[in-house]
Amino acid sequence: MPLEILLPMVILGIAGITVLLHLLGLSRPVLLANQSAARAAWLDEFPDDPPDRITLSQDHRAALIQTVQGVGVVWPMGADTTARYLIDAQITLTAKGLRIDLPDYTAPRINLTLDTAEADLWPTLLEHPA
Amino acid sequence: MTDMLSYPEVTQLAVPFFIAAILIELAWIVIKGKGGRYETRDAVTSLIMGAGNVASSVLLGFIAYGFFMLLWRITPLDLGTSVWVIALCFVLDDLRYYWVHRFGHRIRWVWASHVNHHSSQHYNLTTALRQTWTGTFTFMMVIRAPLILLGFHPAMVLFCGGLNLIYQFWIHTEAIGRMPKWFEAVMNTPSHHRVHHGRNPRYLDANYAGVFIIWDKMFGTFVPELDAEKPDYGLVRNLGTFNPIRVAFHEWVGIFHDIRQPGLTWQERWKYCVMPPGWSHDGSRDTSEGIKARHLANNPHDKGTPGFERAG
Repeated sequence: MPLEILLPMVILGIAGITVLLHLLGLSRPVLLANQSAARAAWLDEFPDDPPDRITLSQDHRAALIQTVQGVGVVWPMGADTTARYLIDAQITLTAKGLRIDLPDYTAPRINLTLDTAEADLWPTLLEHPA
Repeated sequence: MTDMLSYPEVTQLAVPFFIAAILIELAWIVIKGKGGRYETRDAVTSLIMGAGNVASSVLLGFIAYGFFMLLWRITPLDLGTSVWVIALCFVLDDLRYYWVHRFGHRIRWVWASHVNHHSSQHYNLTTALRQTWTGTFTFMMVIRAPLILLGFHPAMVLFCGGLNLIYQFWIHTEAIGRMPKWFEAVMNTPSHHRVHHGRNPRYLDANYAGVFIIWDKMFGTFVPELDAEKPDYGLVRNLGTFNPIRVAFHEWVGIFHDIRQPGLTWQERWKYCVMPPGWSHDGSRDTSEGIKARHLANNPHDKGTPGFERAG
């Protein structure tokens, strides 16, 4: 197929599907309904590390998880979630909450939307887990 | 011996069909409220990976084709271009696909290329297009060498490979439950391939088939989809990014980091490249065998059931 046909078709196809999905409301990130949902999301990634303590964010979009191995975060990946331990994490306060930079090519940055009280509290929980 | 032979570039010609089928699947899911899930960033990442795969083929395809043409000049055999030869080529190339795909899950160097296809937590027709950008660097083109040396023209082999990929497009869906029994027995189907994309311990390293599921049955890697255990799609450790560059290269970066660790022997560095994904020199990570064994330790009643016949 000539490139002058293939290229516009691919670009328009991707753009059209993107707009359609967004208009259908399929861009909304997942909500963690409660602590059980946060626990399940954590165990999806770390089935052998059950949480000892779960701190769910006010907007139900993230959870701070404490296990015997350390502290981690569950956060949305679109309609699903993923999780990471916060090993060698750089934590920065932002206007919306916290930014966590990880030395992990597969999850280099986690942007958390937290209210002011949470944004103050979470870094202390990371540094001084219970 | 024929040097110049051309067949349609079927994967490129199929692009309008791919787009139409995605729209039909999406409409079905939205209208019926069942049959799968779509999410914008996931789907866009998959589509960009697909476009990148086509670009990679255009830019790097000459390497494999040059290798195949070299073999074609060497071989004294030429099976011709009859329909029966094309049909035989298609079947044998599907056997080739089975082994390349199996290596893709069992050799980390090849997994580094293939992993992105499994990196979506969704399973819909866009997932089918989430294809590698780095296939050339796995050197898996050598698995096609016997076909060329047997007298199948390189253009015919690549044509059959393209048809194989097009067949595999439609099986990436949850909108189709099961096909008729005779079809499920012989052909790869949405049900069989859902198993292949499952990260459940039961479903790891199963159903490598492209078109004919008989290869898995012959070589002992077939696992049926169980109604009681829905596949959970994605990677054992799911990605925390939708960035296509990171999706395409993350396992290569992982290999690079691993082989640069201080204090390793050269054998250990080599093993980080060629052992199954999850292998580590200190046993700190899990391969699929380890994951299955741990599952059985926690769920001994699963021993001997599909996917756990040999584990533990």
